Amino acid sequence: MSAPIDRRQFLRVVGFGGAATAAVASPAAALEHPAHPEAPPDAVGMLYDNTICTGCKACMPACNEANGLPPDTALSGGLWDTPLDLNEKTKNIIKLYQDPHGTGSAFVKRQCMHCLDPACVTGCPFGALEKNKWGAVTWDSSRCIGCRYCEVACPFQVPKFEWDRWNPKIVKCEFCFDQRLEKNQQPACCAVCPTGAVIFGKRADLLAKAKERIAVTPGKYFEDRVYGEHEAGGTQVLYLSHSSVPFDKIGLPKLGSTSLGHYATKVTSVIYKWLAGPLFIAALLGSVIKRKWDRHEAERHEREKRTGLPDQL
Amino acid sequence: MSAQDTTGAVLVNHWQRGVPVFREPVITRALLFFAALAALGLGLALVRFFSPLGPFSGMNDAYAWGIWKTFNVMTLTALGSGPLAVGMAAWVFNRQRLHKVMRTALVTGFLFYATGLLALGFDVGRAWNFWNILLPWRWNAHSAMLEVAVCMPLYCAIFLAFENLPLVLERFYYTGSEATRAALRRAAPFLRRIYPFVITGAYVLPLMHQSSLGGLLLLAGDKINPLWQTPFLPLLYLLAAGVAGLGFVTFVLLMACLHYSRPLDLEDLGELGNLLSWVCFVFLAVRFGDLIWRRQLGAAFALDRMSLLFLVETALILVPAVVLRSRAARETPRTLLNMATLACLGGTYYRFVPTTIAYAPGRYSTYFPALPEVLITLGYIALAVAAFGIVVKYFAVLPASIEEWNDMFRLAGRRPPAAP
Repeated sequence: MSAPIDRRQFLRVVGFGGAATAAVASPAAALEHPAHPEAPPDAVGMLYDNTICTGCKACMPACNEANGLPPDTALSGGLWDTPLDLNEKTKNIIKLYQDPHGTGSAFVKRQCMHCLDPACVTGCPFGALEKNKWGAVTWDSSRCIGCRYCEVACPFQVPKFEWDRWNPKIVKCEFCFDQRLEKNQQPACCAVCPTGAVIFGKRADLLAKAKERIAVTPGKYFEDRVYGEHEAGGTQVLYLSHSSVPFDKIGLPKLGSTSLGHYATKVTSVIYKWLAGPLFIAALLGSVIKRKWDRHEAERHEREKRTGLPDQL
Repeated sequence: MSAQDTTGAVLVNHWQRGVPVFREPVITRALLFFAALAALGLGLALVRFFSPLGPFSGMNDAYAWGIWKTFNVMTLTALGSGPLAVGMAAWVFNRQRLHKVMRTALVTGFLFYATGLLALGFDVGRAWNFWNILLPWRWNAHSAMLEVAVCMPLYCAIFLAFENLPLVLERFYYTGSEATRAALRRAAPFLRRIYPFVITGAYVLPLMHQSSLGGLLLLAGDKINPLWQTPFLPLLYLLAAGVAGLGFVTFVLLMACLHYSRPLDLEDLGELGNLLSWVCFVFLAVRFGDLIWRRQLGAAFALDRMSLLFLVETALILVPAVVLRSRAARETPRTLLNMATLACLGGTYYRFVPTTIAYAPGRYSTYFPALPEVLITLGYIALAVAAFGIVVKYFAVLPASIEEWNDMFRLAGRRPPAAP
């Protein structure tokens, strides 16, 4: 029956592969996608406080102008910019939330959260989306194949795809990276905001400022905490919400504190580090198959002679 | 029915080697139907290449993946995993009798992969940027999508194609001139020398990308219902490929042999049924172990919509697992066909549900495939069916007895050529 795979030989292959895998892989996995990533010291951010926002929407045309986006006039019969949500013509939007039963009501500004370990960047096959200087998440048209994995991955539903264009782009807030950050200017929405509802700065400074606001007026803010400090591993855009308006009501979903990149790669990054896992499996399967093959070949000649029929593979 | 082979041994309907279906015309009404459906689908796909995706599909920013990816690629390549499942059983686990059904697995696998990759090519919005695949320094090694994008075409175009090569060369050998035969005789030793190494690759690669297809869903996180969202998705996707792959090879062998009036070798089919049953049990063990570990067993039996979806899935895999434990059942063609069908449905169901039905990205978005989207998907499938119908008539794919092999040459008025 079976060509007995010599146990010692088997163990040698397993032992060799296992040792190689362990030596190569173990420290690497955690480094690339830590469960709770640290913000780099130069990381920039935005802080949006909906107790200050008056809903003037000055940030929306400013964003459109800075990014060369057309107005979304689908709802207004071609008259003015009235997007319903973030879409392929809208990288930044102010929305109003009103509780149908209670008294809570608040504006919310939505744009890319610029995660510390973005799921879109982890999933993007050829690195079209990348974590750029200062932590801005930017998109490179020459690397994007239009697979839309970023849309599947993003827990905040931020990247949008141009479904109606032959040469579609991924549209999302890029922190005004090329347009303004590189020229030492702050993003258009923060620059134009008249009330200071959204402010630009170093993430660490903004986080401290947000916690200071909470400390000064305890009970004013929802759950007395900053959304984005830990969500999905932490984001560079931070939110404070009025105490009567839960975060998930204004489109900021309940998320764990572990980065999605960590969850998705913690096992595979060990297996695939330097292809150690696949090479190990290849060595293991290969040695078994070669043994079976050699026996097959030996029997083939004898069988062909006996039956006069060529062997079929 | 019994016959004497050249050595004088008595054979009872035993499959011995692949033999082309030579008693039937190549062009039939069914073939024309599938060819027309394929032409319609591919024609639409071609138009779609010069048009935006929007008008051709029901996809939107919340459901950014439609059936081209979730069904043609992520689901149907599970049915196309026969070469992996049967090949591993035959070469690694020494189930020698399965070598005879390997060609059926290889052809169906190649057709599912090729049409799946075609679907992927017409699905992506910026296909012209695929050249980035030639620049490894642009590869994002953390992306399951990259793994799939590199590994699947490589497997289909090199490894699976190589495994199918003997089929084609064999036909040249028997129909070609004396010069062709001489050339093939010279090439054969080289092909046989590299064969074991190539098929090792042909098993490692699908182990990688069939699990990576499940790995794709990990990043979707909470959007996928907790009954399906688990760190074990890659392993379960791989095991589902085993369930669906073995099930589909069994299904195709039975259906094709019934359709072309070929005798069945119930021992070979029973071996497939036996393995299928064990793979189903392994799948269920991992599936339930995972649910218990994540404390989702209560949700699994809560009898709400998601729970019912899960229970249907479990039934589709549990029934063949249990029934096929009985030798009598798996050597009864009707029962085996029914159970193989259930396993195919169960494996593909498990692969499809978390991509679409148990995938809830937003409160206000829905997805249902648009008509052109469905026609294109059907077109890819029809292409595979039509190609299979042609391939089995020209190449020695479906297994039969040596008597059938000799009859074929007798009918053509030739003597079966001797072994080289």
